[in-house]
Amino acid sequence: MEKSLELTLAKRNIAFQSEEKEKRTAELNIANHKLIYLKEEKDKRTAELVTANKELAFQNKEKEKRTAELIIANKKLTFQNEGREKRAAELVIANLELIYQKEEKEKRAANLIIANKELAFQSKEKGKRATELKIANKKLTFQNEEKEKRANELAIANKELIFQSKAKEKRAAELVIANEELKFQNEQKKKRAAELVLANIELAYQNEEKKKRAIELIESNKEVDELENRVKERTEDLESFSYSVSHDLRSPLRAINGYAKMLEEDYSTILDTEGNRLLGEVRINAKKMGTLIDDLLTFSRLGRKGITKINVDVNKLLETVLSEINQTTINKASIKYSKLLPAIADYNLLQHVFTNLLSNAIKYSSKKEKPLIEIKSVLKNGSVIYAVSDNGVGFDMQYADKLFGVFQRLHSEDEFSGTGVGLAIVQRIIHKHNGKVWAKGKEGQGSTFFISLPDIDKINH
Amino acid sequence: MDNNTVEILLIEDSMNDAELTIRALRQGKINNQLIHLKNGAEALDFLFGTGQFEGRNISNKPKVIMLDLKMPKVDGLEVLKQIKANELTKSIPVVILTSSKEHPDIERAYSLGANSYIVKPVEFDEFAKAVAGLGLYWLLMNEPHV
Repeated sequence: MEKSLELTLAKRNIAFQSEEKEKRTAELNIANHKLIYLKEEKDKRTAELVTANKELAFQNKEKEKRTAELIIANKKLTFQNEGREKRAAELVIANLELIYQKEEKEKRAANLIIANKELAFQSKEKGKRATELKIANKKLTFQNEEKEKRANELAIANKELIFQSKAKEKRAAELVIANEELKFQNEQKKKRAAELVLANIELAYQNEEKKKRAIELIESNKEVDELENRVKERTEDLESFSYSVSHDLRSPLRAINGYAKMLEEDYSTILDTEGNRLLGEVRINAKKMGTLIDDLLTFSRLGRKGITKINVDVNKLLETVLSEINQTTINKASIKYSKLLPAIADYNLLQHVFTNLLSNAIKYSSKKEKPLIEIKSVLKNGSVIYAVSDNGVGFDMQYADKLFGVFQRLHSEDEFSGTGVGLAIVQRIIHKHNGKVWAKGKEGQGSTFFISLPDIDKINH
Repeated sequence: MDNNTVEILLIEDSMNDAELTIRALRQGKINNQLIHLKNGAEALDFLFGTGQFEGRNISNKPKVIMLDLKMPKVDGLEVLKQIKANELTKSIPVVILTSSKEHPDIERAYSLGANSYIVKPVEFDEFAKAVAGLGLYWLLMNEPHV
């Protein structure tokens, strides 16, 4: 009875324990469920809990099995009633064991609760962290977007920079070439500079020489000016001298001649032959002196007078000259000329020249029986040469240089009248035309007078 | 001399030249009333009735004036200028007498209104011919105004 009571008590105990266990299991399940809901990050702990659960479940099952076995054993005990003390003891032990196990389980449960709380706390912390992470994530996303934008911008900027870089490279290459060119030019410039320095020195030297020359020229210019002034003064003197000669010398001569003439006209019947001859000589000489003065004046005028060159038909000029000569001179000479070359000369002066030359030719051939005068022209070495030949008295060539001097005569006044100014005038006129004059002759065999004038073409050039 | 009937006025400072000129005119049968004045001042007095000729009837003008250029005091060109500048005298023909054709004053004389000129040559015959010829010419050309 006692035993059965005990057994009943044990049974009740066990039943109570079983109920308790069930309660605890249920609590554990709840905790388990709670745990199951833990996040993925809690997998490990969850797994541990699962494992623990399983263990508990397994242990529960074992307990159930043991309970069942105990029930079976109880039933056996119930039916056997033998040696159940041992078994009871064993059961007590087993019970103790179970109690112990129960305490352990409680401890474990308490630990699990703590662990659970810990996990919940950690969960919350993780939630906070997750939220923070989300916010951070969003920030990061935003920053990422910004960075992408910046990256795009940078990409564009990069492309721009690449393009600019390439352009710069091109420019750089061009600049390199340009640099080389500049180097080359610089060298050329240096060379030129060196040359210029030399040229400058040369120029400086030349400048100094020029300055010297300029000073010399100024000096000589002054001299020239002085000379010109003196020439001008002298010319003016000469002109007033000519005027004086013309007016003042001729005036008394005119009186001498005029009064001699009056004497002749009014008193020739009173004078005897000799008286009349002497009176005639007075008049002739007065007249001769007048001619001399006129010739001298002409000669001096030619020195001052300018010349006007024109194209002169010498054939026509000679016609005029000869008709004038024939008016005042007895001319029995035959004069030949034809198709003479034209001359570039001052018409009046050239007329003067031919008047002189032809008058001379007529005069110095007048004593011949058949006086012959010939005029020819020829173009030679850029000059037109005219030659006036006669078959008159001629002259000795050793006196040829005296022919053109003023008052120089090769014949006496008794032989041929003249003042000795005519050929001097001819020479002066021809020289004023940049021409030449010369003569050839032989005593008793005539003479030829040549004049040369620069040719038309030469003048035109 | 009746100054009012002068037909030829000879203005010449050289007595010799004046005598030769007058002789040349007479030989050329030019016997017109003539007065010889020895310088320009006298000539102007005569023409304009001033100085020693004050009171002369200046409307009685010479038919021709023979004027030497080179004269002391008032020279021939000055006389010519005044003759030709005056309405009363500017129509009187003036024949210039000069010693040389080289004389540059001949041109000036022409530009002042001289009518002719005679170069006084050494040879009297030529001079006489020229004087008589020109004198006659201008005497005939210049018939007195009625």
